[in-house]
Amino acid sequence: MKTIVCMKQVPSSNEVRLHPVTKTIIRDGKASVINPFDASALEQAVQIREKLGGSITALSMGILETAELLRDGISRGCDEAVLLSDCAFAGADTLATSYTLSLGVDKIGDFDLILCGKMAVDGDTAQIGPELAQTLGIPYATDVIEILEVDETKITVKRGIDGGTQVITLPYPALITVVKEIQKPRLPSIQSIGDSLQKEITIYTAPELGADETRTGLNGSPTEVVQTFIPENKVDCVELTGSIAEICKSIATIRQEVK
Amino acid sequence: MPQLIINKELCRGCTICTRSCGSDALHMRGRLAEVNDNCILCGICVKSCPFGAITIEKEEKINTEMDAYKNLWVFVEINQNRIAEVSLELLGIGRKLADEKGCHLVAVVLDENALLFAEDLISYGADKLIVCNDKGIGIYAEESCAHILDDLVEKEKPEIFLFGATGVGRSLAPRVAAQAKTGLTADCTVLEIDGDTGLLRQTRPAFGGNIMATIVCLAKRPQMSTVRAGVMAKMEYDRTRSGTIQKVSYQNQLPEAKRIILETSFAPKTNSITDAEFLVVVGRGIGAKKNMKLVHTFAEKIGAQVAVSRPLVDMGYAEYPKQVGQTGCTVAPKLLISLGVSGAIQHLAGITRAEKIIAVNADDTAPIFGISHYKVVGDCVAFLKEYTKD
Amino acid sequence: MKYIHPISEEYQEYLKDESRTTGNANTISFPTSEKEVVEIVKHLYQNQETITIQGARTGVAAGAVPKTGHAMNFSKMNGITGCTVENGRFLFGVEAGHSLIALNQKIGTKKMDTTGWSQESIAAFHEFLDAPMQFYPPDPTETTCSIGGMVSCNASGARSFSYGSVRNHIDGLRVVLADGELLHLKRGQNFAKDRVLELVTESGKQIKLDLPKYKMPTTKNASGYFVEDNMDAVDLFIGADGTLGIVTHITIVTSPLPQEIWGVSCFFASEKLALDFVIAVRKEKENIAALEYFDPNALEILRIQKKSGTAFKQLPEIPEAYVACVYCEIHTDTKELAQETMFRIGAKMKATGNNPEHTWVARNDGDLKTLQFFRHAVPECSNMIIDARKKVEPIITKLGSDMSVPNDSLQAVVDLYQTTLEAENLEYAIWGHIGDNHLHVNVLPKNAEDFYKGKELFKHWAKETSAMGGAVSAEHGVGKIKANFLEIMYGKEGIEEMRALKQSLDPSGLLNIGNLFDVEEVAK
Repeated sequence: MKTIVCMKQVPSSNEVRLHPVTKTIIRDGKASVINPFDASALEQAVQIREKLGGSITALSMGILETAELLRDGISRGCDEAVLLSDCAFAGADTLATSYTLSLGVDKIGDFDLILCGKMAVDGDTAQIGPELAQTLGIPYATDVIEILEVDETKITVKRGIDGGTQVITLPYPALITVVKEIQKPRLPSIQSIGDSLQKEITIYTAPELGADETRTGLNGSPTEVVQTFIPENKVDCVELTGSIAEICKSIATIRQEVK
Repeated sequence: MPQLIINKELCRGCTICTRSCGSDALHMRGRLAEVNDNCILCGICVKSCPFGAITIEKEEKINTEMDAYKNLWVFVEINQNRIAEVSLELLGIGRKLADEKGCHLVAVVLDENALLFAEDLISYGADKLIVCNDKGIGIYAEESCAHILDDLVEKEKPEIFLFGATGVGRSLAPRVAAQAKTGLTADCTVLEIDGDTGLLRQTRPAFGGNIMATIVCLAKRPQMSTVRAGVMAKMEYDRTRSGTIQKVSYQNQLPEAKRIILETSFAPKTNSITDAEFLVVVGRGIGAKKNMKLVHTFAEKIGAQVAVSRPLVDMGYAEYPKQVGQTGCTVAPKLLISLGVSGAIQHLAGITRAEKIIAVNADDTAPIFGISHYKVVGDCVAFLKEYTKD
Repeated sequence: MKYIHPISEEYQEYLKDESRTTGNANTISFPTSEKEVVEIVKHLYQNQETITIQGARTGVAAGAVPKTGHAMNFSKMNGITGCTVENGRFLFGVEAGHSLIALNQKIGTKKMDTTGWSQESIAAFHEFLDAPMQFYPPDPTETTCSIGGMVSCNASGARSFSYGSVRNHIDGLRVVLADGELLHLKRGQNFAKDRVLELVTESGKQIKLDLPKYKMPTTKNASGYFVEDNMDAVDLFIGADGTLGIVTHITIVTSPLPQEIWGVSCFFASEKLALDFVIAVRKEKENIAALEYFDPNALEILRIQKKSGTAFKQLPEIPEAYVACVYCEIHTDTKELAQETMFRIGAKMKATGNNPEHTWVARNDGDLKTLQFFRHAVPECSNMIIDARKKVEPIITKLGSDMSVPNDSLQAVVDLYQTTLEAENLEYAIWGHIGDNHLHVNVLPKNAEDFYKGKELFKHWAKETSAMGGAVSAEHGVGKIKANFLEIMYGKEGIEEMRALKQSLDPSGLLNIGNLFDVEEVAK
């Protein structure tokens, strides 16, 4: 059983604020972590391997620094890690990213199952999984909340749908995207971190992947961000004051007024 | 290859860009900002620079085939024999945009019983329906839907194609976009037509809703978006409207589905926080889990349902279906009482449709107060104890 | 007087605190400024009415529970009033009722309401915005506590192992004395001469204080007045349980946030192995900010709660082979240093006969939250047990000890706790700040008899730990509940000196009566 887990590097905090003078956006760039959804996907992969044996390869596209993140993945149970890194990949939207990842998957080759987090906490698009599956031409299931059965040839999952759930069997090769709650990621140990430092991370550049550079990075991205801003919400707000009892009375009155 | 350019004449060394960067790609060399290989061309710094010193240089994308793409399409979801609310909302915004562009609004309906809904869809704004009512077709025959949509897009060439940001939409739209090799903007909350270029301006929350980003799809068609449910307004039902129906059939033409659907089940509608008229929403300010008991007593007393913010689901105080916000449910009660919720943007996104909001929070500067009609600055637990005491 | 309300039905809440004891009061006020505090105090002074000061009422020693008279609640004084920069350090003026959790949030997100601030303050705030991230190091477990409350009991927490208690992070205080006189104190400006301290109030009134002569333990300590030769006046009012004056306003000092905060939970096959590890690891404590212990019973409580309650089902699975746990927190400015420290911890585990595979390492905020959830789940779970038992036997309350001893007595004090608890056949769990030899022993009484047995044991331990050179309260403060331990620690003479000191500042004994001293004793 050979599994691939796609991982994205995301900032550990989504906090932003406005610079008081220039009113521009400041993000106080915080440390990067494995996208929490992907971490759950990895834990799920580890549990499948504990049952069926085989290997897990972590796959990511990003700057060279992302290798550290993949090493983190190894300390949490991956056997191998592959990083796709090239200036030609910079500025990729989901379409260009899924194309690039598909080349990475081809390079790893001969896989049974790909696990992705449902979405990344910085982009929130939830598009990479389905776009990657389509580019690879394999069946997929999004929003998987539970693995019901898994063997050497197929996997049966329960996925969330609008207003309910669905049980689906996917023959390999297949891709699933999982919700964060599917598994609680385990923590690495001092020992496993030490071991991960000895591991080699495989790095592929655009030429090594045979990438069509009109389809990667900014060149291969049809979408373009033309404006960013911090949203503001404002309504007239009445402060309820007085003792707690008085406030409770005011709230009871408001409740009565709304029929 | 595209790259980030820092204009040395314009850069004043203010360091703002270095702090806006989430990739550690900008550093100061003396009084000038300098970019390194970490740059992912995300463009945040371009917008952060007060002096306009940063630009991204790239090749112009020209696509002469784009003119062939016409009309605005909406993918209509028929779920449990009803038109999904979000599909009607898409027709509402679609109508507005189509009028601005002077094009047709087309509803694409793939469902065995599609024709039953034709009149309603036209009355809610569609000029034309493209209908496939082959036996067995429906939104949960997702692979078949995808093949049909791929084919329709290729043949009919819509300029804009909108999906609801529902489970189905968020699974199907990326697949269609990847097949058409076009861009897709997820979870939009604002859609507008750019007056100069006629492009669709798609605005969506990013970084967990802390930043809003406006996105366009320049050189590929169709321009595709998934749109958040509960944000757009549907049109007044107008029985006098008329429209045409184009029927298509793919009977025996589709490849066999690879996925085997064993079971589809729907949770009973009752007690859904989405439909609640009175709602109590609890956040981290509630403190210990034992205080949830007070919340339920309070809710019972005022006849409300209980929902929570994301951290409480993470902490196991409540189950996921009770979560309000961008990654949970959008709610629209007549009265919402928010207790100890600070009001991160992604949470606010889920409650803005509430008619009246009372917020109780100990922190006077909590963003929740920004969208509340009544505010109480104080400890929500003390309030609950008082309200529920006898 | 308009600020003073009679205690009616709606104010019952203010007669108790987290110690779960209930008191009594005639009136209550919620001042919104120092000026109002002064007005109220002067008014009450004329009538010689006693005042009990309240912050967030999260204390477990009943310090904020009024006995009688007036309750002055600071929940409406919860703003930040300004910012200054001094030698690269950021100082914030914080009103006493400000909660710690909100303060952390404001500092962490750099979002503060600056309305009404002076020009200088706003300029300093802009400097703060541009500076590297800051934090406020004191970290008591109960984060909803007020800053004023933290000052009154010299609070500390896990990170006090390297950062020290709240005392180390305060630059100034504004204090209203029992007669309404104002003291504005800034660190470094007013020192005692040996054990004589002279204070001048804002109106020019001079007060000469003879400080007690006792020697304080060198361990972590929140018991009785802080006194030493040539001490800073600010320190006298920190940890005074609100008995010397009413602190209305605190100037806190933030510290640069370490770039790397890692957590390592180390697991051991026996308690002995865990103690050996602690003793070994703190010989080289560099970059280690906290060392927290969980005994076998504490881990067992977690295992049971994980199975039963939904809130705790998210706890990581604790293998049966993991018998005891020590949580280490690493604070450094570089990844390399953090990693080096982590491997040092691993090496110490090996050297003391333990297995570095039996660890959970958190190298980012998300994982750290998992470990912190684990850590905070222990007291939470034990409270749940107590609450359940209280329903059957109402007399039962939380019985948690707060004693610290010097380094060389760690093994001895653990032995003391265990042998006496086993002898009395009591159910218990031990956890807490083992780095400072400051363990919370929590007796879980099954019935009233157990409860009384537990209380007796606490008295016995107070004697024994004092004899070891320890403190009867290391971080909770003495309040009302532990007043009787204070004499065990300092002797009759020490108590007399403390009382004399209080009398020079509060001659009629109006402030926080019952705290530190038995009420009856104050009356005489």
